[in-house]
Amino acid sequence: MNPFNYHKPSTLAEAVALHRDAEDPAYLSGGHTLLPTMTQRLAAPSDLIDLEGLAELTGIAAEDGTLSIGAFTRHAEAAASAEVAGTLPALAELAEGIGDAQVRNRGTIGGSLANSDPAADYPAAVLALNAVIHTDRRQIAADDYFRGLFETALEEGEIITRIDFAIPSRAAYEKFPNPASRYATAGVMVADFNGTVRVGVTGAGPCGCRAHAFEAALSAHLDPAALDAAELPAIDFNSDLHASAEYRAHLVRVLAQRATARLVAAP
Amino acid sequence: MSKRGEGVEQSGEHRIPAKRSAVWRSLNDPAVLARCIDGCQSLERLGEDAFTATVRAKVGPVRATFQVALKLTDMRPPESYVLHADVKGAGAGFGKGSAEVTLAETEDGTTLLRYSVAGRVGGKLAQIGSRLIDSTARKMADDFFSAFHQALDPAANRQQSANPP
Repeated sequence: MNPFNYHKPSTLAEAVALHRDAEDPAYLSGGHTLLPTMTQRLAAPSDLIDLEGLAELTGIAAEDGTLSIGAFTRHAEAAASAEVAGTLPALAELAEGIGDAQVRNRGTIGGSLANSDPAADYPAAVLALNAVIHTDRRQIAADDYFRGLFETALEEGEIITRIDFAIPSRAAYEKFPNPASRYATAGVMVADFNGTVRVGVTGAGPCGCRAHAFEAALSAHLDPAALDAAELPAIDFNSDLHASAEYRAHLVRVLAQRATARLVAAP
Repeated sequence: MSKRGEGVEQSGEHRIPAKRSAVWRSLNDPAVLARCIDGCQSLERLGEDAFTATVRAKVGPVRATFQVALKLTDMRPPESYVLHADVKGAGAGFGKGSAEVTLAETEDGTTLLRYSVAGRVGGKLAQIGSRLIDSTARKMADDFFSAFHQALDPAANRQQSANPP
């Protein structure tokens, strides 16, 4: 690892100012992507700005149909939270299924979304649950947030502060985990908002996306069979040593059907 | 070519809104290429058929600077060439590959550019990024061709000359 300056700001404003003034800075959240990259010397930021402990980035609260999760919430905290379990059990289950215990104890929801790894789990939930991403300078709608491979709407130096999820009538998440990393080879969340269905997909393409034709089919008829002939999202499906593009496309339909089956069977 | 590393294969086609002779000239013009390669810090012509470039790649958390040696062979102006690239990143890994590029004239006066790349990526870059190499390669190709398209689009160029920087 190359040498770097370490900063531990105590306010959000201080963090943003440190970033603005440093030569080649990076924010540090859970560090489970950034630090391995730095130890491999594939990234060598001049300054690391640690976001841990910033009050603006913490807390979980549910009210008025919205579940608000602070950006520094670790996956394990989201999975164990009574507020999350009580309002959005599908999201608690998603968090519980991320990586392994070490990743869940360090990784954060804000870090995951800022990185926008194509195989991360949270993007499926952000899109299916029509989330609003709050930053130090604005609010970004889920549909405007994901732009491409590791590309988001975030500007240089912008910090995610919290994510507000709309609480659906019911939701279910199904993923096909890579057996080694537990990354989503593909993952689909189906959310029912009083008959209007949203479907968020991750792992399949360059970034999270919605499956609009699936949504239309399920909004008309909430049944796994409604997806038998529905059109897949028009994305460039990923192909790598774990799964071909054709296989991922197949997984997206099957996982959406499994999620729908669980959703309609739920009490 | 090294047997080690991860294989990369990529092919595609792009319709460029310019005459074939103009597309061919631009594909051989270091200034145009440098503008179209994301993160390109320098690109110099070493000879009739060779270039050297310094490219700072930024993919997710990775920020690495690569030295790229480019060599053109099988030149058949203005129809096709083969582009060989040898990529080295200090400590980050290596890549090696070649791309067959062909240009076809179309009836509406535009040019159809087809390419097919085969190569290998090795070193740390391949270890850490093996699950992402194909999608990264595709993104880089897409970014290059959309910038190249922009550079050769007469509509965009008219606008440019009307508003000098």
